[in-house]
Amino acid sequence: MFKSGSLIFDDKKIKDFINKESNPFLKKSRNNFLKKLAEKKFNIKEEYKYTPLKQTIEKNFNLRFEIEKNISSTTEKKILPYIINDNNVYQIITLDGKILKNFSNLPSKISFKNFDELDKKEKSLLHHHFGENDDSDDDIFSALNGVLWSKGLFVYIKKNQVIDRPIIVNNFYTSEKNIFSSQLRKFIFMEKNSKLSICEFDYSLISNNFNSNVTEIILEERSELDYFKIQNDSNNSTSFNSTNIKQKKNSISNTFTFSFSGDIIRNNLNISLIDENCYCNMYGIYALNNKSHVDNHTSVDHMQKNSISNEHYKGIMNGHSNGVFNGKIFVRKEAQKTNAFQSNNNIILSDDAKINTKPQLEIWADDVKCSHGCTTGQLDENAIFYLQSRGINKERAVSILINAFFDEIIQKINQNIVKDKINEILSTKIESYLNER
Amino acid sequence: MLSIKKLKVSIENNLILKGLNLEINQGEVHAIMGPNGSGKSTLASVIAGNENYKVESGSISFYGKNINDFSPDERAMMGIFLAFQYPVEIPGVSTINFIKTALNRIREFNKKKPLDAVNFLKTMKKKMNLVKIDRDLLSRSINEGFSGGEKKRNEIFQMAMLEPKLSILDETDSGLDIDALKIVSNGVNKLRTKNNSTIVVTHYQRLLDYIVPDYVHVLIDGKIVKSGSKNLAIELENKGYDWL
Repeated sequence: MFKSGSLIFDDKKIKDFINKESNPFLKKSRNNFLKKLAEKKFNIKEEYKYTPLKQTIEKNFNLRFEIEKNISSTTEKKILPYIINDNNVYQIITLDGKILKNFSNLPSKISFKNFDELDKKEKSLLHHHFGENDDSDDDIFSALNGVLWSKGLFVYIKKNQVIDRPIIVNNFYTSEKNIFSSQLRKFIFMEKNSKLSICEFDYSLISNNFNSNVTEIILEERSELDYFKIQNDSNNSTSFNSTNIKQKKNSISNTFTFSFSGDIIRNNLNISLIDENCYCNMYGIYALNNKSHVDNHTSVDHMQKNSISNEHYKGIMNGHSNGVFNGKIFVRKEAQKTNAFQSNNNIILSDDAKINTKPQLEIWADDVKCSHGCTTGQLDENAIFYLQSRGINKERAVSILINAFFDEIIQKINQNIVKDKINEILSTKIESYLNER
Repeated sequence: MLSIKKLKVSIENNLILKGLNLEINQGEVHAIMGPNGSGKSTLASVIAGNENYKVESGSISFYGKNINDFSPDERAMMGIFLAFQYPVEIPGVSTINFIKTALNRIREFNKKKPLDAVNFLKTMKKKMNLVKIDRDLLSRSINEGFSGGEKKRNEIFQMAMLEPKLSILDETDSGLDIDALKIVSNGVNKLRTKNNSTIVVTHYQRLLDYIVPDYVHVLIDGKIVKSGSKNLAIELENKGYDWL
């Protein structure tokens, strides 16, 4: 047994698991992560200040690993309603990370595979970059995922390849409490001039699921990625997510993180702009009620000159829900002429809901434009009265104001199918707010 | 049309209106004047149903119906309109969509069919002329970034669109230059019919040169202390409120 922070691990079980890894490279990588996990002093107190780990995770990780081999008919029944019948999208369904080919539709020219299906070239690409671009030095759950990930997803977009439709990925999780098999590791590599829109939905098919997702993304020169993440899981899952993007010259990333429910959700989003002229947009919406707890930790690292980062997160909290926003901006000495913007706005609807918001800027360059701001308030009673005074009833007025609050972000969604889906989820959410008022 | 009897109103335990009586009939224009803090804006808000104010006693009746417990939207549907002293900015809500939603709510209440897009635009164009408001302005979010004059014109434009039975203009002249004041008053005058009524709440006699009232009431310390014809306004302009 060993301890890391307040978590206790059974190293014998972990070693047994690692020994089952058949790929020697990945076995070595898992052992490297294990070393980090065992030896690093993670600053859990600071990094998880507002997200109570003790409630989240059993103190003792009594790990069992089971991977569902074949999809059962009950699972199939649960999955079917989520399948989108739309020829304007490509679709991938995964079950604890395993791609279900029968339910997926993707042309063979797009390389989207599990790690154990890679050809020689893909394998060498993965081995060349894997595990180097995550936040496992700082975050205990990323390190844990590095050791124990159960399935790997690999996406490779070739030079000049433009994917003409968005790829919708529905990830389903099935593992029960203490069974450690909903741990995904993702690797996305985009070569020069390539373009991709990817939209991920996470669903647990069982309550109290614990899942983790660590994603490494590399954007080569002039590539462009839209990455949507939608968390609208009706089961009380705990979810740890870490998305790490490394951008080269003239590349563009647009990330959207939408969180609507879940027991405890942590989203780390780390963007490294390692070259000049990079552009990244980071958008987020969280609309919470009941006891949901959503913690968005973002960082953007401007390492070279002339790059732009733009971040805007907006949230509404109702019931006993909790929101956390922590946004870091680093501008290194070399990163002159940087433009970095950050903004976080919150509305609290109930007495028991809470938000903790913290911008963090570290700027070493002297010729930059940076701004940040955050606001927290209630729905504007004067605005409600104004709308009412024109014949619009209170419920409608509240719903108009909430929609208006999020509209700024929703307008940035450049894929209609995603926009429609978000609007649909939001209207259900608003209805639940009104019922609780 | 509107009958207010012995109305006492408080906000946060401060009594503002202290037994106010007011009768307004169809087709009449009433001016409410008074010094700062006398309760003019409170009266306007309370008639429109602002729930921040508490009616302690007395009654407000509209067409014979006690509306004390009616919500602001119910009152609006019955035909009460408040032109705000400080129109609220609502980012993210387009003015046109908002007015369309409001108009169709009121039409539905009056058992009329909702206006289709073509007829709505037709009506809108006509009413836009009335207050010389720009289409561009209406495509923007409600009052967002509007100048003081634009906000007031937008209020009168909404009034023209919704065709209320009773309009309450709360300090509509404040923040307006003389040209804007003329445009706004002209709009209000053109909307006057023998069936609808107007309450003009104002500090100064100036507005009443353009919107000529049938009656003038002086509100001091939560009560109407004097009522008279439009000449009373001129008298007030010369003598102030101290002599009352």
